[in-house]
Amino acid sequence: MTVNDLVSSLPLTVVAGHDRLTAPVTGGYVSDLLSNVMGFAAPGNVWVTMQGHQNIVAVASLAGLAAVVVAGGAAPEPETVAKAEAEGVVLLTSPLTSFELVGQLYRSGVKGQ
Amino acid sequence: MRRFVADLHVHTVLSPCAAVEMTPRNIVWHAARHGIDIVAITDHNAGDNVPAALAAAKGTDVTVLPGMEVETKEEVHLVVLFEKLRQLFAWEEIVAAHRSGRMNDPDKFGAQFVVDAEDNLVAVKEEMLLASLTLSLKETCDKVNALGGLVIASHVDRPAYSVLSQLGFIPPGLALTAVEVSRRVARADAARRFPAIGGLPVVTASDAHMIEDFLAGPKVAFNLEEPTLAEIRQALYNENSRGVVL
Repeated sequence: MTVNDLVSSLPLTVVAGHDRLTAPVTGGYVSDLLSNVMGFAAPGNVWVTMQGHQNIVAVASLAGLAAVVVAGGAAPEPETVAKAEAEGVVLLTSPLTSFELVGQLYRSGVKGQ
Repeated sequence: MRRFVADLHVHTVLSPCAAVEMTPRNIVWHAARHGIDIVAITDHNAGDNVPAALAAAKGTDVTVLPGMEVETKEEVHLVVLFEKLRQLFAWEEIVAAHRSGRMNDPDKFGAQFVVDAEDNLVAVKEEMLLASLTLSLKETCDKVNALGGLVIASHVDRPAYSVLSQLGFIPPGLALTAVEVSRRVARADAARRFPAIGGLPVVTASDAHMIEDFLAGPKVAFNLEEPTLAEIRQALYNENSRGVVL
């Protein structure tokens, strides 16, 4: 399964990293505490969060994540989008709440870890 | 030059989580009797009890600094401090325009009392203060600095509401003057235990919600000519012979 498979089947909008959607997805993680994500998200994960701060890009890059989804209809800050483009991090948004989105991801075959 | 003991993070009865004994008058009274020279009044997202604290400190040796503990939209707590009341008033206007709009439930969260310098009840603050503003961390730092204030990241060692818990690390280029560690960490150990602090100055403060914590909680001592925020800023950066004394 790739990021592109998820984008084409779920309510997800690509905000940055259009050229990296072929990355394979290994699983998923959800948290709004970036300190926690740094410790527990696995490489290749899709990470669902409400944080739109630019630090999410560095965390995704550090952890080697396949994509970050800013959920709940929240808008990532402009610096976040620019940073994601610059660092080649796939940044997505979704109007769904974190809960609903994680449910749909799980049903699509994305599991924890 | 002399040594001033400062507590840069103290809550009053305006904070829903603070004990009713935390009136501005009582805080100043205890500060005067226990050698606490400088007290910053830092209630959650509001500054309504600062005027009473300034009035209560008149004629004492205690210096009150106008301040606030701000919760940004990332749920990061920041202590913001000002030299003058009018700067705090300008900041309060910005804060008021960035509240969630929710009202406090005193039964669940605690009451939020505005009082005068004689402990009389002036008003009950209706807005929910224990909630994030719609201001980002960067916007808060930039706006406080533009008003002439300074920003200290609250209790960065704690697992909640700290810039490190919420955002993993301190974003580069952020206009932070210092970071605060809680009583759980010695000031001297902070940079080693939390490398993400980088080269920022470290302070400790009581973050008191009760008089007992105000008296027993950690403080920081500065070598200053006068007890002003401008001098504290110099002391944090060891400028003009000002400095932090352990």
